[in-house]
Amino acid sequence: MAETHHESGPGGDIDLSQFYQIFFEEAGENLDLMEQMLLNLQLETADDEELNGIFRCAHSVKGGAATFGFTDVAELTHKMESLLDRLRRHELQPNAAMVDVLLESADASRSLLARHQGGDEGEVPSTADLVRRITELESGGSGVAPIAAAPVAQPPVTAPAPIAVQVAPTIADGVRRLEIRVGPLERPEQADAIQELFRDIPGLGDIKSLSSDRKDTRVFAVETTSTDEDLLDLFAFHVSKEHIAIKESDPPSVKEQGYGFFDGAAGSPVAATSYADDPPPGAPLAPLPGYGFFDGSPGAPGSSGGGAAAPSEVRPAAKVPVKASPAGAAAQPEAATIRVAISKVDQLINLVGELVITQAMLAQNSRALDPAVYQQLLTGLADLDRNTRDLQESVMSIRMIPMSIVFSRFPRMLRDLAGKLGKKVDFVTQGEATELDKGLVEKITDPLTHLVRNSCDHGVEMPAERLAAGKSETGTITLSASHQGGSIVIEVRDDGRGLSREKILNKARERGLDVSDQMSDADVWQLIFAPGFSTAAVVTDVSGRGVGMDVVKRNIAALNGTVEIDSAEGYGMKVSVRLPLTLAIMDGMSVGVGDEVYILPLSSVVESFQVKADAVSTVGQGSQLVKVRDEYMPVIELEKVFQVPRYDTEKSSDIMVVVEADGSRVVLLVDELLGQQQVVVKNLESNYKKVPNVSGATILGDGKVALILDTGALVRRSRH
Amino acid sequence: MGAMEKIDDQISSGAREYLTFRLDQEEYGIDILKVQEIRGYEPPTRVANAPDFLKGVVNLRGTIVPIVDMRLKFNCEKAEYNAFTVVIILNLRSRIVGIVVDSVSDVMELPPESIKPAPDIDSVIDSGSVVGLGSLGDRMLILVDIERLMSAPDMGLVSDSD
Repeated sequence: MAETHHESGPGGDIDLSQFYQIFFEEAGENLDLMEQMLLNLQLETADDEELNGIFRCAHSVKGGAATFGFTDVAELTHKMESLLDRLRRHELQPNAAMVDVLLESADASRSLLARHQGGDEGEVPSTADLVRRITELESGGSGVAPIAAAPVAQPPVTAPAPIAVQVAPTIADGVRRLEIRVGPLERPEQADAIQELFRDIPGLGDIKSLSSDRKDTRVFAVETTSTDEDLLDLFAFHVSKEHIAIKESDPPSVKEQGYGFFDGAAGSPVAATSYADDPPPGAPLAPLPGYGFFDGSPGAPGSSGGGAAAPSEVRPAAKVPVKASPAGAAAQPEAATIRVAISKVDQLINLVGELVITQAMLAQNSRALDPAVYQQLLTGLADLDRNTRDLQESVMSIRMIPMSIVFSRFPRMLRDLAGKLGKKVDFVTQGEATELDKGLVEKITDPLTHLVRNSCDHGVEMPAERLAAGKSETGTITLSASHQGGSIVIEVRDDGRGLSREKILNKARERGLDVSDQMSDADVWQLIFAPGFSTAAVVTDVSGRGVGMDVVKRNIAALNGTVEIDSAEGYGMKVSVRLPLTLAIMDGMSVGVGDEVYILPLSSVVESFQVKADAVSTVGQGSQLVKVRDEYMPVIELEKVFQVPRYDTEKSSDIMVVVEADGSRVVLLVDELLGQQQVVVKNLESNYKKVPNVSGATILGDGKVALILDTGALVRRSRH
Repeated sequence: MGAMEKIDDQISSGAREYLTFRLDQEEYGIDILKVQEIRGYEPPTRVANAPDFLKGVVNLRGTIVPIVDMRLKFNCEKAEYNAFTVVIILNLRSRIVGIVVDSVSDVMELPPESIKPAPDIDSVIDSGSVVGLGSLGDRMLILVDIERLMSAPDMGLVSDSD
């Protein structure tokens, strides 16, 4: 068992459950996406992009599930991933059976997740059959579902009903069979759309069309957990409620052995009622060895009136035990969080920005008014001022969250991972207070997870190996975040074995990539970002499939970021993710030069002081130097760099600001220091182009644009 | 429905609507569909090392938009900034750019038969950017492919790498 220390960071006892919700949402999205892609997959002409996409979805779900310890989900998705991996490598030709089994597996994963989300209550759906079928397909077999025509995977078992819950717990818990008559309608085709509803809404249930005795009427047999009201509301999209008649249908026919659950218990509606009425919902269901519960409680049928009259009473209660079903689970996330498109938040921020400017303008214009005459107006404006500020603060806070939210996901994951691999790993985090835009945080989490896993799996060596190499037994993985030169840099460092140039080049040749021994290290490291590239000898469920880095690169590129690798064989490796500041908020120091205002990133400002004319000395071709406490530093006159027109010749730059970037210090000469403020960094390049020595722009309180200086570029400039 | 039919009509007849503006004594027309909005002129924030016709950048409801003075670009004799100076905000291939003009005249519909090809003339405008000359009675409209004009390398609006 490896030890995982948390030297910095929020310690080891992190309650991972706070991230469950995020995972459930992500996994849900991934599964939806996968389903969509599977459905769109052209079997004959499936291209790599599509197969890679589907594979990535499975991989992400697996990764997350493993991180949070949902082993059942991880196992199933691992199997899916293996099959998809072979498809992706063209070792197998995709066929309909595979798509079927993958879709069913996705459904099963959803059910498993829903169960976890619902607090692990209720029946554990078994996935043994799906796993078997996938394995069969993976080895080239047919993997046919035992009940080929079944819409939802059903177990091959003829017997005990509780197992029938397998893939679709929704169907077993509190299910009602209904006969729905729609009509008379002028255009009975309208009613057919109802069938589509059942197809489109997951968890709604099953619908079958029955033959109707009248031409203008459609009859459907429906199995659902929804209440009559819910169904009517749904159907109202297509046909008016008056035309719909819902009634409880006869006890199920023999053909549905899978649902024998209800048959065994004296008429299904009653059975459902009796256990729904039972106070601890779900609880009695889990240990159910047979039907002892129902058989042994003779009072049950009678307690709820019995017979087909019961359903109306069932409805409200029936929902409770279905907690683990999608229907029940859906209610939770709605209450906790809302997912909103980033663009909407951006729009909100922009609008608030405008509001603040308008408010400032009103305040300015109203200053001259006589308070005695315009008292009401002025009170109103004061209120407006306060409300606007509060509003701005709240809106801004929507976006910014500290990196610790992301970082604290890792200690637990690393601990488990290290334990599994038999390695000893220390985890160190730095700069977790660095605030990052929420949009970026969400998108950077997955790539970081991959990187940290990679470090642990491939980077850090086994304890014995480390000792042999003269290192301490325990490896260290460091995760740090910082603002640097107009970017946010997140680094994943390990002191493991580093990358092997030779191995990578060999692997690249094996895969037919165009490489040569003369390639620079940086170019060689970039090779590991190719899809499917892995030098790991064994494919584990942790990593080694070579999917990680390709996803990492893709995700980061989508954020306009870059990934750099630094590695020394035997000493470790460092992956730096550099994200642009777009959308980020930065502490800035505004300085005046001539009539213009520029913003310096406060993080790079060391000190500022007024300069005496004789403190500056020149060297060689006119470069200026100033002596600051026994240290000579190059002087950069912003007035010259930015060609600031000087109207007031009386004024001159006599304030020096020492800035530090990339490890060097320079002195910037400015006219005045205007103040410090938080600025929202805007991208200049979205509508214009890159401006030298400028990292972005921001909007000042008066609505004017101010440029943000790129201190890194200024420092580099002074060197040449 | 009315608007749709109108557009359909235009497509079938080939007539397009142009926003016309004045630069000094010349009258120009640009495709109305490229115009996002028209604003008054406000002094932009100067950007260092930019050509003189690039007046700088302004804040357009939270978006940083570069402002090009067409009068300087086209070497007009004078470029004054007064209460009538107008900025036309263009939306070109998801980029937003503002152009300063002397005044905006109106929006007119030009059928294809009233658009004549532009003769080869020596001009500050890249001749490829002039779509044609529209004649409206005794007025002459210089019809410009504004998208092409603004994305030309000499405008310096886009990075070389783009």
